[in-house]
Amino acid sequence: MKKKVLSLLMCSVLAAGIVGCGSGDGASTTGGGTQTSSDGSKSYSTDKITINIWDSNQQAGIQEIADDWTKQSGVAVTIEVIDWDNYWTLLEAGAAGGDMPDVFWMHSNTVQMYMENGILLDLTDYIAADSAIEKDNYYEGIWDLYNSDGKQYALPKDHDTIALLYNKALFEQYGVDTPTDDWTWENMYDAAKAITEASNGEIYGLALNTSNNQDGWYNLVYDYGAQVITDDHKGTTIGSAEGKAAMEMVRKLLTVGAPQSVVAETGTDSLFQSGQVAMITQGSWMINSFYTAEHHDDYAWAMLPYADTNNNGSCDSGERFSCYNGLGWAANANVKDPQACYDLISYFCSKEGQIKQAQLGVTMGGMKGISADFAGAFEGMDVSAFTRAEEEGELYFRPYTRKTTVWEDALQQAGGFLDAWQNPNDPALMETACDNAQKIIEDAIAAE
Amino acid sequence: MWKKKMTPSQKRQAIWGWAFITPTMLGLIILNFYPAINTVYQSFCKTGDFGKGNIFVGFKNYSSVFAAAETWQSLWNTVKYMLVEVPLGIVIALILAVLLQKKLAGKTLFRTLYFLPMVCAPAAVAMVWKWLYNQQFGLINNTFHTNVAWISNPNIAWISVGIIGVWSIIGYNMVLFIAGLQEIPKDYYEAAEIDGASGLRQFFSITVPLLSPTTFFIVQTRIIGALTVFDLMFMVMDKTNQALNKTQSIVYLFYTYAFTNSNRGYGATLVVILVVFIMIVTFFLQKLEKKIVFYN
Repeated sequence: MKKKVLSLLMCSVLAAGIVGCGSGDGASTTGGGTQTSSDGSKSYSTDKITINIWDSNQQAGIQEIADDWTKQSGVAVTIEVIDWDNYWTLLEAGAAGGDMPDVFWMHSNTVQMYMENGILLDLTDYIAADSAIEKDNYYEGIWDLYNSDGKQYALPKDHDTIALLYNKALFEQYGVDTPTDDWTWENMYDAAKAITEASNGEIYGLALNTSNNQDGWYNLVYDYGAQVITDDHKGTTIGSAEGKAAMEMVRKLLTVGAPQSVVAETGTDSLFQSGQVAMITQGSWMINSFYTAEHHDDYAWAMLPYADTNNNGSCDSGERFSCYNGLGWAANANVKDPQACYDLISYFCSKEGQIKQAQLGVTMGGMKGISADFAGAFEGMDVSAFTRAEEEGELYFRPYTRKTTVWEDALQQAGGFLDAWQNPNDPALMETACDNAQKIIEDAIAAE
Repeated sequence: MWKKKMTPSQKRQAIWGWAFITPTMLGLIILNFYPAINTVYQSFCKTGDFGKGNIFVGFKNYSSVFAAAETWQSLWNTVKYMLVEVPLGIVIALILAVLLQKKLAGKTLFRTLYFLPMVCAPAAVAMVWKWLYNQQFGLINNTFHTNVAWISNPNIAWISVGIIGVWSIIGYNMVLFIAGLQEIPKDYYEAAEIDGASGLRQFFSITVPLLSPTTFFIVQTRIIGALTVFDLMFMVMDKTNQALNKTQSIVYLFYTYAFTNSNRGYGATLVVILVVFIMIVTFFLQKLEKKIVFYN
């Protein structure tokens, strides 16, 4: 009898092997050719560099640029993609345990902590000796972000802006005029309302999750004259009258958008791509995912609407903002061959690497003056809204403090803005949420 | 034993004994004991970045953990999950075990099928269920033409998550029950049959009491398992889910503090409290064992 149970268990274990293999979703790909043609002038003590990134949309393009560098240097480059949430958990554990990738992306949310603790390779001397990297060529906000105590710890990889994405087919179907560059947030509300009502709630005019901050409601806060984090990174004005006016507009938009229970389960991008939502706001780093989507012919981009705070009917200075941020290429301080890692970073950030990155449509450059290359990368899709956002509107840097995630997550959840998002018909909830948000941010900064 | 002088052969045996347990001991010390002690230590610290610069702060973490409403809510959520998973997982598994004990064509196939969820990666299981439950495109809502927010409605999300737990654990419980059933001598059933007891009567008067050691073992291990649940909530529910506060387990809360917010000290305090809670529950279960478990 016992034998039977045992054999049953064995059967199951065998099956486990099959199921287990099927369900693993390792997202790593190894690099292309491992040429060892060391014709380059420099010789390195390593023949392999591993890179960690979090965006699988960019993997192919980055690998292509890295392969170009491999041809010159003879050092193979392997890219591993780890999704955003796990990326930081793993990187931090790796930093504490001494097992980090050689080269990786840094982000404004966490970079302060990494720089202060000597986790990142100090690039200052390498930059000074490198003629390809000139500070003036890069977006200043991004360059300075990765500088601590006069030392440079990462080089600007890219920059990004935000635009409005809409589904032309849905606008046509419900007879609503498509977004223009003259739109205010009120116009967006009217259009969303028309679509939601005309479809009897089958289709949502817009979708906005609490987690759409950089690519969503942050922008309204700045349009209306408030700041999520003040310029000195020591406070916030989200609870001010301007902040409340901005969030009141957000609340109004939510009343004609997809309910929170829907966006939290399916995600605004999936809802949009399945034709359930007519408008979402998105960052330039996501273009590729929509450009390669099934119904991409129906998609078009417009500049983010503005807030006509002085009611004169035109967009004046300080009324249209787009968030911008830029990733940095950084290296592990304890890497075996720092020169090789720096040279790879330098290649990514050099004019050659940056132009290639833009032309491949990976992202916009961290280097200035190559936006045209990027706009040309998406044949058949007009993405100029992202570059016009910086020419015609104003940019502000993605709000950050020393431990951004603490307050950023709290704002998205119950006790923060989630309460108001759940019941957009109650203006009092949004006002309370603004007061709570003010306190959440202040408390978080005090605890840093 | 050490006081007495050992004979050479005893000595050899002792050396071999130590040699055999050393690998396990090393594993336990490095992977279990050291981290456990370190966690207790960290719960008294304001931890620094990257595990450097811990500052001893006494019971400060404990007072803030006890003062936070979310701690008690999460503990209650965990208990609620346990109340769904443990009883349902046991009752259904017992019924299946009894049925699959009978002569039945394809018995082995059924047993394997029921056991399969147990051998799937929990993350994969949760992903599949997440899409089954999806309000917009989910199979459940589409099949029954309903529009229920299974995992976003705070009132039912904890049950939905509990059901995934039940589904995953049934096979494991069932195998243990089958093993227990095979221990029960056939004579009892034959005698009962001669006395004219119905199948149901046999089940409650013979099977249930004689299975009680197995049942107790399952109850105890599953309660501990349910109290430490994390992966289901983590995989199924998005951070911006409005039901998250009413569903997240205490280990989920620990993950948020320790890994997302890098506040290891606070996170360590949460798990220490959970361990104490589990110890109290286990203590009462052990007391109960003497009263209700029937050893043959």
